[in-house]
Amino acid sequence: MSFQTKALKILAEISGKDADAITPDMELVAHLNIDSPQALQLLVALEEAFDIEISDEDAAKMDTVQDVLGYLQNANLGTA
Amino acid sequence: MHPIFSDPPAHLPAALRSAAASFPERTVSIFDGRGRSHERRTFPELLAAVERTAGRWAALGVRPGDRVVLTLPTSWSWLEAWFGAMLCGALPVAMARGPAMGAALAHLQKVENLVQRLDARFLLASASYREEAARAGAEHSARICLSAEALAGTTPARVVAPEPEPDDIAFLQLTSGSTGFPRAVMIPHRAAIHNAMASDVAIGAPHGAPTHAWADSMVSWLPLHHDMGLVGCLLLSLMAGHDLYLFQPSTFLARPRLWLEHLGRHGTSFAPAPNFGYQLCLERLKPGDLEGLDLSSWHDAMTGAEMIRPETVRGFCETFAPVGFRPEAFRPCYGLAEGTLAVTFDLRGQGMRTRPLPGDADPLAAAALGGNEVVSVGVPIADTEVRITGPDGSRRRDGEIGEVRVQGPSIFAGYYNDPEASAQCLQNGWLLTGDLGFQHEGELYLTGRVKDLIIVRGHNLMPHEIEWLAEEVTGGGGALRSGAFAVSHGAGGEEAVLVVEAETRDRNRLEPLAEEIRSRIGRTLGLPLADLVFVRRGKIPKTTSGKVQRRQLRDLYLRGEIEQLG
Repeated sequence: MSFQTKALKILAEISGKDADAITPDMELVAHLNIDSPQALQLLVALEEAFDIEISDEDAAKMDTVQDVLGYLQNANLGTA
Repeated sequence: MHPIFSDPPAHLPAALRSAAASFPERTVSIFDGRGRSHERRTFPELLAAVERTAGRWAALGVRPGDRVVLTLPTSWSWLEAWFGAMLCGALPVAMARGPAMGAALAHLQKVENLVQRLDARFLLASASYREEAARAGAEHSARICLSAEALAGTTPARVVAPEPEPDDIAFLQLTSGSTGFPRAVMIPHRAAIHNAMASDVAIGAPHGAPTHAWADSMVSWLPLHHDMGLVGCLLLSLMAGHDLYLFQPSTFLARPRLWLEHLGRHGTSFAPAPNFGYQLCLERLKPGDLEGLDLSSWHDAMTGAEMIRPETVRGFCETFAPVGFRPEAFRPCYGLAEGTLAVTFDLRGQGMRTRPLPGDADPLAAAALGGNEVVSVGVPIADTEVRITGPDGSRRRDGEIGEVRVQGPSIFAGYYNDPEASAQCLQNGWLLTGDLGFQHEGELYLTGRVKDLIIVRGHNLMPHEIEWLAEEVTGGGGALRSGAFAVSHGAGGEEAVLVVEAETRDRNRLEPLAEEIRSRIGRTLGLPLADLVFVRRGKIPKTTSGKVQRRQLRDLYLRGEIEQLG
């Protein structure tokens, strides 16, 4: 499974949306309706799935699905 | 009776010193972000570190009366800096950190507004904060920003501060203000000490003795910038001599089971949370997650700081009964920042008790409340009086709904640098809470709010914060208005609904507008809207002076009487 697919699956689980319906330009809050506890749930799920640690500063810069995917890409998961 | 209670300290620094002297074996433990391991310090060790940090603040030039703002996670740095500033006679101001994801710029701006308004002397933040603030143009923040590491690296100087008087201000507690900016609630030393001691007595009432006589420990995930975390957990534990275990709020939000696990592991006798915390446990824990939990030592599960939902309480009792949780452990309470924290407490210890919404209630009160059942939040704490009044201040009879007013030694001393707001809230020694309720046989029942506050998942928001963002998008500038309000989402608590005036009824133009509004609110406040409705210009009810009447707007919405565009 590509890291994108894996990340979208996690986003789908937490937001309750269909993974196929989630596109990179979507915003976590405005489109996926992710509230504050769900945002934390999402961070933990990403950290566990990719075995990484996301700093508070990096998390604060993630507004869109693309921001999340871009972060994972930069974390060298593109080959995973 | 233990020394703190037979001879109460006159101010918080004295309370901290007394705690270290009276309970040298007691500890504070702070968990790492994962909630796996924790670091422990005894009260005397904490005091010594606080005194060193006070010396560092003094060396940096902090003087009595200076405002020192903290935006840090729950940490030793937080505790040392907050108490340390107080030991210098400065006013520590703890601020929330931004949303967990996104909204980085919006948070920088929020902090900038605050440090400007308070004319803060220092802003204690993360190591990268100064650079980020400078990049975002937050000049005041960048200028006064200091990292916890830089503070720790400063050589302490001698602290020269006069002994505080009981009525001197000890710290500023931030709360949502009606102007959209946070207001800084001035808490005198006397009020902080009274509230912690009165809470200790009230929590202990069903057990025949204050908690300091029998309880051992408390586990809290509540943020220290919130009155329940600060006064109800930190100050209470120090003064009553309980071992305190502190989690990051984010650790709990990500993994609520950890809170319950550690409650059992440390044989914790009492722990508070707002309704949404209990609800989150209910929503997130799967049946298999109960294995290994033991909640039988949890005598007192305080619930307050927002409306208590009967379905949450019942659901929690039922779900966690198999692991030893007893329904009578639920202890409803009521408080607010302007009352330092606690105002009323359930003293019976028989679990949640409810009454039907009175017949004279506004027909929409039930919709706002999310049901017809109202929870008793108990009776006033020691030396405190609660009254229900009409708009003219006249007293309401038993069972009649009105505004809750409070008088007693825990009442705040006004808002910092805001005499107008202070005068509205404090009248002849009474605190006008902006909360609605009734009394029955001396017990208080909350039914709603007069004030326009929206509480979503533990976060307090003022409607202005949402409306401004919407009006920036519509370019209203006063011509096109908007109104935000809270609607009940059952046990899930409250959700935000926004009504916006628009010039067009063309769906193709309204859709991108809605998109932009939701996006801006999401990116700035981290808040998903439950509903966004467009109406024609002028359709939002306003007073003759042009103020949006949000309660009326909400009533129209709940009755389905809003003429929607698009």
